[in-house]
Amino acid sequence: MVRGWLASLAAGAPPRVFLLEGADPPAPACLLGQNGAVEVVDAPRSATLLVVAGVLPDALLDAARLIHDQVGRPRCTVQWTHPRAPAPPVAAFPVTCTVTGSVDDLVASLIRLQADLVRGALTSEAPILPDVEPAPWRGVGPYGQGGTGMTGGVPYGRPLAETAADRDGLKLDQLAITVGPFFPPFPTGLALELRLQGDLVQHATVHPNPFQVRSLPSSDESGDEAERERDDPFGTALDRPVAIARLEMARARHHLLHLARTLRLHGLDALGRRAMSLRAGLRPGAVAPLCDLRQLLERTRGLAIGTTGAGHLAEATVRNRGLGPIARASGLAEDERVEDPAYTALGFVPVTHDGGDACARWRQRLAEAIQSVQLAARAGEARSGGAGRVEAPRGPLTRESSATASALVLLPSLLEGMEWGDAVATVVSLDLDLRDLPPASTASAGQPTAAVVAA
Amino acid sequence: MAALGGALVVFLAGLVAWLGVRALGDVLAPPGTTAAERVPFTGGVPPTTHAWSRYHARYYTMALLFLAFDMEMVFMYPWAVVFVDEGIKALVEMLMFIAILLLGILYAWREGALEWA
Repeated sequence: MVRGWLASLAAGAPPRVFLLEGADPPAPACLLGQNGAVEVVDAPRSATLLVVAGVLPDALLDAARLIHDQVGRPRCTVQWTHPRAPAPPVAAFPVTCTVTGSVDDLVASLIRLQADLVRGALTSEAPILPDVEPAPWRGVGPYGQGGTGMTGGVPYGRPLAETAADRDGLKLDQLAITVGPFFPPFPTGLALELRLQGDLVQHATVHPNPFQVRSLPSSDESGDEAERERDDPFGTALDRPVAIARLEMARARHHLLHLARTLRLHGLDALGRRAMSLRAGLRPGAVAPLCDLRQLLERTRGLAIGTTGAGHLAEATVRNRGLGPIARASGLAEDERVEDPAYTALGFVPVTHDGGDACARWRQRLAEAIQSVQLAARAGEARSGGAGRVEAPRGPLTRESSATASALVLLPSLLEGMEWGDAVATVVSLDLDLRDLPPASTASAGQPTAAVVAA
Repeated sequence: MAALGGALVVFLAGLVAWLGVRALGDVLAPPGTTAAERVPFTGGVPPTTHAWSRYHARYYTMALLFLAFDMEMVFMYPWAVVFVDEGIKALVEMLMFIAILLLGILYAWREGALEWA
């Protein structure tokens, strides 16, 4: 009886979802948790439902299978695919339900599935992986204890950490872990191999990019041009002119989405939801709500305290690297739009900030969002693009390069010596998207991404 | 004796409540039993080294500073008792004592002892 009563309570609670974002998701994953009907959690153990958004590349399947088995029981998987390009079934991956449609359709399905699961109307998915440890614990006692060394052997095939000199010259243990490719604060697919001492990052290496094909549609791809322009205005602007108003509104929406992600990382969920709500109702020329948000963020100081000094990039480090807002947050007025007569006719002057840290970067993006809304109102029918190079929200975009590729090169050296909290804030502040990397910089297996991107 | 009995009752009640809640939790939501569920979550890649590792507990200097100032408070109790009798002289002496300790904390601050990691 108690169990039934608890099940009915649990059935009415917002579904707890862990998100695996692949290539070409139907909508940005952030949109899922914005109205409170669904709770997007940061660890699979806290979730009941696993949502696979878009197409998972083969390189991410092993990680996805492990995460599937870590989702709390009872559990089920939902595949959320684009109505235009339904994702193929994921190999050796149980999918209870496939949703093709908008965020609202997905939320409705998730609520129904959770209720069915906890009431027992739906059977929990079985684990995918075999229930065996990677290796036995080679100790002599009944619990594996005894023998030589601190643990009396190699616990489950995992040797103890090796020692290395710390910054005080002491020989202490160095913990080697891989964070990602589905670590929620990081961009999907980004996996960092880290050596930590305490919570200090001593060494970082970026894993090869799991996304082999760039999400950007190619110029000769057939399809509805209007739909393509709406979904990916900057990719379209590489090939042909696109209305400046459309480009700038897309830029403002992108920056607000990133700001919401940053706010969530720093525990400011309510402000993050406010940013998302502003994004949903964004109109050309309506800058007052954005200025209010900026004033609120400056006044509450919560975000500024958490980001000041984190991930500082000096002017000399970012100069001429094609880093867009990252460079502008370090005081450099690098912007493709400066060269564009359509923009100069609108009186466009790049906004810049001093500081070069994570704090300067969110301030820069918010200022650019406000500027974009103003530009969109002034632009009228003016168009820009078609030159094979465009200033996208993350920075200059061409068919051969993107800002993410340039930022990834800087990442390992930037993270070294940082405390873990600052390192996460720094990665988020760079606004990376590994699906945005051009095919030329996509690393093959076993090859460090940073080296390939640098080439 | 009665007070001791009361403490024993509170202890036993706490023990029963703790065991009861644990047992109830195990019945309603059995703990993870598969190998995959025992792997710590870091984003989908299982760890290659064990998590038992020794690292520099830098905050030990903060603990020492706390102890130093805790002991300073101990000196203040007898001082407070004689303060009314001794008057301004006792006040000046205590201010000197605190000023010397304050120099210590400023030195520790400059040396980075208050940085957590």
